[in-house]
Amino acid sequence: MGPVELLHMSVFSQSFSPCGRFLAAGNNYGEIALFSLSAALSPDASEASQKPILNFTAHDGPVFSLLSTDTHLLSAGNGEISAWSWAELIKKSTKAAWTRKPSYETSLEIPEINAMIINPKDNSLIVGGGDNNIHIMDMETGIFKSVLKGHTDYIHCLCFKEREEEILSGGEDGAVRIWDSRTNRPVHCIEVFKYEECARPQFGKWISCLATDSDWMLCGGGPSLSLWHLRSMSPTSVFPLPGCQREAVFHQDLIMSVGEGPYVSHCLHGGTVKAQIPCTPSSLNTLALNLKNTEHRVMTVGGSSHQIDVFTNFSYRAFSLSF
Amino acid sequence: MLFCLKVKKNNSELHVFTHFRHSEVRVYNEEVELEDRDPQQDYMLYKDTCADLAKLMAEIQELKSSGAKVGSVEIEERHRQCSVHFITLKKLNRLAHMRLKKGRDQTHEAKQRVDVLHLQLQNLLYEVMHLQKEISKCLEFKSQHEEIELVSEEEFFQEAPAEISRPHVTRDDNHQLTLARLDWELEQRKRLAEQYKMSLARKEKIQKAIEQKREYLSSLQPGLQNIMQASLPVQEYLSMPFEQMQKQAEVARHLPPPLYVLLVQAAAYGQACDKTLSVNISGDVDEAKALSRRPEDSQEDESDSDAEEEQQNTKRRRATVGVQLEDKRKAMLRRHPLSLCVDLKCKDGSVLHLFFYYLMNLNILTVKTKVSTATDLSGAVSAGELLNSESLLNCLYASDHGKETPNPANRYQFDKVGITTFADYVSDLGHPYVWVQKLGGLQFSSDGAQVCVALEIALSASHMEKTMKLLRGRLQARLALHKQFSSLEHSIIPVSSECQHLFPAKVVSGLTRWTMMSYQEFTELGFVQHVLKAGLVCETDLFFMAVVERGTARLLAAVVLNPRYPEVMPLFSLSLHWKGERSGRTEDNLRAMESEVNVFRAELQGPRPGLQLLTNQIQRLCVCLDVYLETESQVCDGSEGPREFPREKMCLRTARGPSRLKPFKYNHPQGFFSHR
Repeated sequence: MGPVELLHMSVFSQSFSPCGRFLAAGNNYGEIALFSLSAALSPDASEASQKPILNFTAHDGPVFSLLSTDTHLLSAGNGEISAWSWAELIKKSTKAAWTRKPSYETSLEIPEINAMIINPKDNSLIVGGGDNNIHIMDMETGIFKSVLKGHTDYIHCLCFKEREEEILSGGEDGAVRIWDSRTNRPVHCIEVFKYEECARPQFGKWISCLATDSDWMLCGGGPSLSLWHLRSMSPTSVFPLPGCQREAVFHQDLIMSVGEGPYVSHCLHGGTVKAQIPCTPSSLNTLALNLKNTEHRVMTVGGSSHQIDVFTNFSYRAFSLSF
Repeated sequence: MLFCLKVKKNNSELHVFTHFRHSEVRVYNEEVELEDRDPQQDYMLYKDTCADLAKLMAEIQELKSSGAKVGSVEIEERHRQCSVHFITLKKLNRLAHMRLKKGRDQTHEAKQRVDVLHLQLQNLLYEVMHLQKEISKCLEFKSQHEEIELVSEEEFFQEAPAEISRPHVTRDDNHQLTLARLDWELEQRKRLAEQYKMSLARKEKIQKAIEQKREYLSSLQPGLQNIMQASLPVQEYLSMPFEQMQKQAEVARHLPPPLYVLLVQAAAYGQACDKTLSVNISGDVDEAKALSRRPEDSQEDESDSDAEEEQQNTKRRRATVGVQLEDKRKAMLRRHPLSLCVDLKCKDGSVLHLFFYYLMNLNILTVKTKVSTATDLSGAVSAGELLNSESLLNCLYASDHGKETPNPANRYQFDKVGITTFADYVSDLGHPYVWVQKLGGLQFSSDGAQVCVALEIALSASHMEKTMKLLRGRLQARLALHKQFSSLEHSIIPVSSECQHLFPAKVVSGLTRWTMMSYQEFTELGFVQHVLKAGLVCETDLFFMAVVERGTARLLAAVVLNPRYPEVMPLFSLSLHWKGERSGRTEDNLRAMESEVNVFRAELQGPRPGLQLLTNQIQRLCVCLDVYLETESQVCDGSEGPREFPREKMCLRTARGPSRLKPFKYNHPQGFFSHR
């Protein structure tokens, strides 16, 4: 990677290891880099410990999504999903455990995979991407058992509600669809852009981020980031953030979201923006919280830069890891 | 004969008269008597007498003490007896003395006899030793004849004639044999001495003959010269310029070593690999000869150059300090009168002239350039800097700016004469690029305090080919850019036929402006700060501004052109003015456009040597702007009216991925756009 390539690199996805000591990040060149958090957070960390311990090309196209199970790291490239054993990766072996492709209808352009989630109840992998459909794969057998069709444009993000066993999906067509995972049938469809409080016609209608917390749902994208009460299917708060948000999470009683603009926004449930913490990349694509390991409890964000900002105290940027 | 023996004893003397008669045997000789008496008996007698005497004395004492008179008969009787005893004692004493004397005499005699014998023994021993020494001396004697090497016995008997060898005598007698051998040796030596004299005489004769022949040959020389002169027209006719090469070689002898190395290597390279390279020497040969006549001065280090400067100073009258310093500077920066001119010809007829100079006191080479083209280059305003001789050869190798002298020792020399930086004199004296030093075999390596300057021919040879290729490449790239710039300024993007497949047939966006910028202006632009921060820009780079327009949209592109183009890709930074101002920092799609133009060298460079790179990049920029504008989504309710930019490009999808990027990748020959 020359300096020009580094200048044009974007980080699209992140995932922490099951033990919480390592961070995997995927970029637009199809590379996955493994960073050691214990080395980077140790008191005698140097510049070298902010570099990846392992960097390899995983896919042809950009790695838009990374997901960690208890043992494996799943990465999504150009229409394919690869699994890497975490134990092997830590030992710097870059051989994929398996690679599978959902069946696609079109053959001219390979659709990307934008989001992956795990349904812990029946141990299945749910992926959504460029072919407008949601595919569900059984993790044990590797067979794609069902396809959820309904979106009219590609899927940006997926979410799973454990209590009701419902899958939520947000897409470019502006709709948030709710599916029942047991019957694989659509339950609801919310067209966010039709609600005046949220809609921002100057941007567009797509939904690029989704998050749920019991009865609450966060969604945003072209429309403003808004908090919805799912039972009543209505927006309760709208957050006045200027850019389009690409990822949002619930954390304790805060809502943290990233998107266009070089900052992480901290918001309260009531709809106020509490803080906007500046970071290095000029726009952010991914935000991840390491809650599995209490020693390395950090928040990392990545976006239009080859650097990933690490926040040890969520109020300010501590340092940056770089590809 | 009457002998009187006086026997003295204390206070009385007793005279004993003896008679000694020659004829009479009856002699009262106590000595004779001595032999008869026994010493032991005499001793007993002595003891008795002493006892009697003591007794008598005691009686006398008794009598005297009992009151008898002095002259009484008993006392007188006793007195008489005492006297007799005294006489006996005296005799005994005499006898004792005589015995003693006799004993002594006998001892003395014996001793004397022993002494005589001892002396005789000593004498004899001494003589024995002496004789032994003589014998050994005789035995050690080496005669001179033993130092002469003689032929072995068998050889001697074989070779020597009979009168000398005389075998009948010498076989038995070693002495004779040796004598014979010595004789033979002498004869042989005499004979050989004769032979030696004769050989010497012969040698003299031959020597004289050689001298004569030499003279004859040297007389031929002028004749040959005449023939050479006469053959010149023949040489020219056959185009084998021996004369010219000789002349050049003659001049080359006066070149300073680095220039000589350069000449040799360049000429060799030109002959072997590259027919279009030619080398010439220009300059004042006489001055060079004058310099070399003072052998060590011209090319050595500063201690000698100081001497030179001093000489120069004393020639003038007391000038002011400033003028003196100026003179010193001039002297330090003096060039060798001879210089090399290397011409590199290109296929299209343009020539790159390189003039190499040697700065004697600083021990570095510098180069000046000139470009002469077959066609007249005119028109391109922005191309002014391209062929500027100051910067033409900048950064031929990475970071070789040629502003400072590569010789670390020059620092100290400069301090002496108050030159702060060599860059001031570069335009006058030429650029001291590192590759020029290497071509001349000058290697400056300063590890620590040691500066080692080594003239290495191998260094020059190994760099020659690469440098010549780079020079030619540089010239061609610059000329190509020159041509491209003149058409860019006329808003035409010259895309060659080999590269047409990279772009769709119809490109609506057009280049409307192409101008040059200075480094200052570049750094003031807002949308290039990321490039400056990443350290990808240097002051020696060339900066341009391209403006691409379509309809109401204006795209500004700031271009950084590294002098080593096309080895290093030009870097574009974008800013779009359309419904507001966006740049690659604020919008991901513009960043994707920058990436599309900056990163994909393999696609954009076109056929080797990749001179189409810049124009292809600009064309791709126009294509990307087309796609951008045409795929820009309208508002949700579509109430804005007709789109300003109707969709003409074929795209399968207008957005993909989390950042919803547009399809900028053109697929040939299908002709549609897709995502990377």
